[in-house]
Amino acid sequence: MTLSLSLPLVGIALVILSSAIEGFAQVCLKRSAMLSAGKQRWLALGIVLFIFEALFYSGALHSLDISTAYPLGALSFVSVTLFSRWLLDESIDRNRWIGLGLIVCGAALVVG
Amino acid sequence: MEDYRISKRTLAIGLALATILDTAGQLLWKYCVASLPESSGLLQTAEAVLRQPLFIVLAAIFLLQLFNWLKVLEHADLSYAQPITSLSYITVCVLSAVLFGEHISFAKSAGVLCVLGGVWLISQGRPLKQDNPGVEP
Repeated sequence: MTLSLSLPLVGIALVILSSAIEGFAQVCLKRSAMLSAGKQRWLALGIVLFIFEALFYSGALHSLDISTAYPLGALSFVSVTLFSRWLLDESIDRNRWIGLGLIVCGAALVVG
Repeated sequence: MEDYRISKRTLAIGLALATILDTAGQLLWKYCVASLPESSGLLQTAEAVLRQPLFIVLAAIFLLQLFNWLKVLEHADLSYAQPITSLSYITVCVLSAVLFGEHISFAKSAGVLCVLGGVWLISQGRPLKQDNPGVEP
């Protein structure tokens, strides 16, 4: 499969994908910190995910300006929150939801 | 009191260093990728990354950033440190225009400020695990 990395839309999709991966990777690290047995498995999974994230982000930088890709990567705050709510049952307060809304608006403005 | 001041200065240096390393890391990352030959797929990119020596420097920056960040978090709460280092959203934007000639539209500037405000708000709402005032004595 070859994927053209010169298209900005592919770049945007890759940053969104790497942000989503970051959320799951952070949950893995938290799991690892919470457990007394089986820590290493979650830690290893987290590290592998971070490597994939870095690869996808590198791919994105082929077509995107860094002034676009970097603020867009703040979407990882959104995925970290959603994954930690979904998988770790963490509670999210109102300020955080508003902050996430601002980040999503900012991301839309940056790519738009 | 003396210890408190030293700790405060250490924290300021740590926060400045975190912001600088964040900025340098992003700019160098872009520079590294831009210096790669035009490739067509993720596998080729991965292969080229391993061959480009500047990526070693980039990896060193990330490692330094990690250790510095852990050090900063010893002295301050995440809710205090995170909004300050998110200033790197502005420095990356400005320096990308200066160094790479990237075009910063009005919408993009507004977007960056929105992201900055969002990160700031998130940090305000984060429940703290310890109630120290940000700087340990």
